[in-house]
Amino acid sequence: MVAMEAKGWIGASVPRREDARHLLGQGVFAGDVTAPGMLELAFWRSPVAHGRIGAVTRPAGVFGAGEIGPVTLLPAGPDMPGFRQAPYPPLADGVVRFVGQPVLAALAATRGAAEDLCARCEVEIAPLPAFADVPAALAPGAAVLHPGWADNRYGSGHVKAGDVAGLDAPIRIRRKLGLGRQSAAPMEPRALIAVPDRRTGELVLHISSQGPHVLRHALAAMLGLPESRLRVVAPDVGGGFGAKNRLMPEEVVACALALKLDRPIRWVEDRREHLMAGAQAREHLYDLTLHATRDGIALGIEGELWVDAGAYALWPTGAFAEAGMAARNLGGPYGIAHLDVRHHTVATTKPPMGPYRGVGRTGACFAIERLMDALADEVGVSRYEIRRRNLIAKLPHVTAAGMTLDTGDYPAALEACVGMLDLPALEARRAAGERVGVGFAIYTEQSGHGTAEWAGRKARVVPGHETATLRMHPDGSLTLLTAIHNHGQGLETTLAQIVAEELGLHPEAIAVRHGDTGLSPFGFGTFASRSLVFAGGAAKAAAEMLGAKLRRIAAHFLQADLALVELRGGRAWAGAASLPLVDLAHAATMRQERLPPGEPPGLEATADYCPPEDAGVFSYGVHAAVVRVDAETGAVALEDYCVAEDCGTMINPMIVDGQVKGGVVQGIGTALTEELRFDAEAQPLSTTFADYRLPDAPSLPEIRVLHLVTPARCTVHGAKGVGEGGAIAPPAAIASAVEQALGLGMVVTATPVTPRRVLSVLP
Amino acid sequence: MTRLCVNGETHDLACEDRDSLAGVLRDRLGLTATRIGCQHGSCGACNLLLDGVPVRGCLVPVALAEGQAVTTLEGLRDDPVMIRLREAFTAHHALQCGYCTAGMLVAARDLILRGRATSAAEVRAGLAGQLCRCTGYDGIVAAVLQAAQ
Repeated sequence: MVAMEAKGWIGASVPRREDARHLLGQGVFAGDVTAPGMLELAFWRSPVAHGRIGAVTRPAGVFGAGEIGPVTLLPAGPDMPGFRQAPYPPLADGVVRFVGQPVLAALAATRGAAEDLCARCEVEIAPLPAFADVPAALAPGAAVLHPGWADNRYGSGHVKAGDVAGLDAPIRIRRKLGLGRQSAAPMEPRALIAVPDRRTGELVLHISSQGPHVLRHALAAMLGLPESRLRVVAPDVGGGFGAKNRLMPEEVVACALALKLDRPIRWVEDRREHLMAGAQAREHLYDLTLHATRDGIALGIEGELWVDAGAYALWPTGAFAEAGMAARNLGGPYGIAHLDVRHHTVATTKPPMGPYRGVGRTGACFAIERLMDALADEVGVSRYEIRRRNLIAKLPHVTAAGMTLDTGDYPAALEACVGMLDLPALEARRAAGERVGVGFAIYTEQSGHGTAEWAGRKARVVPGHETATLRMHPDGSLTLLTAIHNHGQGLETTLAQIVAEELGLHPEAIAVRHGDTGLSPFGFGTFASRSLVFAGGAAKAAAEMLGAKLRRIAAHFLQADLALVELRGGRAWAGAASLPLVDLAHAATMRQERLPPGEPPGLEATADYCPPEDAGVFSYGVHAAVVRVDAETGAVALEDYCVAEDCGTMINPMIVDGQVKGGVVQGIGTALTEELRFDAEAQPLSTTFADYRLPDAPSLPEIRVLHLVTPARCTVHGAKGVGEGGAIAPPAAIASAVEQALGLGMVVTATPVTPRRVLSVLP
Repeated sequence: MTRLCVNGETHDLACEDRDSLAGVLRDRLGLTATRIGCQHGSCGACNLLLDGVPVRGCLVPVALAEGQAVTTLEGLRDDPVMIRLREAFTAHHALQCGYCTAGMLVAARDLILRGRATSAAEVRAGLAGQLCRCTGYDGIVAAVLQAAQ
């Protein structure tokens, strides 16, 4: 570990270029886009969780399944025979399977008028049995949600390594644990407008999306369009966090109707729709047994986990990645060699599950960290000490599930985090009778994983590479075109820093454009903490190619040895002689007769990047939460929150801080307030921000972040992904802190830790 | 007809009773800095000023805005407090996706003008009705404190 110092533009906290337009209110989000003749779309959504559609009465301007034009459903979920199919129809076809599922589509000049049309629709629905959670869905005799299924499982898997049964460990701790259901809840709900372009014959879809290219592929296949006739533009996107990275029925309906009617169609999701019918997340259940020695050394984990994936599999992956990833990550940062975990992806009559920041690992971290706390209690050591004893001491380390934890120093991070706290002062307050406590949790976060890793998961889309085009214009200015998407991550700034470093320019000299299939090469978009590693790698490679050509031309102009030519400060230098890049750009584009013999004209480089190691690189961190609990009301007040984290080389430390803090606060929401609740009939009970409570400023302390920097071996500049890590550990840390504050053992087994849950665990 | 005075300009618009002020500003006048995040007054993305007082644009029926001066973020471009806030928001990385930013700025400016931005705790309390999903609020609090100086 070393202190991070800026080297040129790498490691510099460059202010974000994205800020100016947003601070003036000049960002353009999909819901800001209009077109002449536009119709607004509203949906008549199912009021019941499960039922058979009968007679439908509706006014003109309302469309049902089969009336929006030809649509081909796509298989979704892992590409393996054992995974059952549950394709999500754009409009319900015969059966509805969750409250909020789109049934009818209404078009009118305004959203209000379209909703009026919905109010005049009458749909007979004969109720079928609802099952609102995993136990109900898997109960003997439960109705089966999809035709041809033997039970309500999409699929199951088994992660097995070593021999847990043969361990004969003296300590076995069995616990049932669970994580609540959540919404990613970006501040901008989903929004889209599909506009037929009569000049090009394209359908242009402006949509709040994390990955326009992959979305285009699916939409084109569903609509029977060549991809060349569908352009997807994701303009400014008001947060995604995973919720805008799956194919959803609303965009299929809007595009189909735009094609059918040859008119622009806009749909802007309202918050109620987002909370009741957007992609949902988390809701894991665990029944695990931890095997350990009497010294508190964890040896193995066995058991089962279930993920409530809802009624349909969202293209492309369904929710299968969630359960498998949770199972593989159960060992956490500990040297647990034996793993025997069966995982199940279960269908219920609830909205479909999608990815959400931390995918799988927030649950896995909660499970293993809760078990470690129980182990500490069992062997009579502190919860800090149990971690010190079990952390992997030396990296690289191949986990029981086969993941290679690459670089870093986990014990040092634990010590660093403890060093951020005043534990004796906290102990003194506890001794004085205050109900305060500290909890620790440690996470790892895989990022930058490549082709073999994704293919091994049987993914239908294998995001193992990313491509960038760097273009120098005749006047010497530059545009980087990339297929990742920037919706808060600051990538318009950091990618410019990477190119600037390579070409000896100021980042301001490089325009970064993204989010438009009509502009950039194909690529996968922003998710899985991948964009800086992948798009940064592609941008650097493209800059190297362009830089090499600039140097060749400069060597010719300066009559210098190529090896002596360097790019610096917007000029090409050979010793004391130099010339501005604009001269080279002009020659390469407008006056190609000046180029060295054999040098082709043009200054454009397209580079593809995949990390040289497929296994990915692992960021990690230690979180500590300090809470004060009111034993009368059960209210938990967060007093302090500390993070000691290592995401490798930081391109822009200010932005890394923002990613970590933002992730932590989302994890605090998981821990304390956020839960999509349903009644026994699977009716949603959390459909406004009054019922689904996001963390707010007064309820939070400053999040204190310490960076440890161990560069990755195989990525550009040694960077690792950082987008998701903050959201992984807070539920585990906060649950542990609450117990210490109350002087209890490991009794908090589910999130969110609401006042009601706190009161329920008090003796 | 509904007569609206927005950022100093008068507009006569045929509106429906149910139209919200935020919706009319966005859809009829193209003033899209006013973002809509929840449509039930919880998130504060649609904050704007009615006669100088911050309100939730999504909760104001457009008819109620008649006879009052409506000011949106577009109308605060040259406001001295807003200029300081913009500089401070960039310096403290107080925005990520930018969707809550306009409403946050309107609320922050009001805190500063009322002298209620003298400590981090006061700023946090004052921003209780403003949701941000990206930043975790630390940068926002620091920025408001700096701009208040």
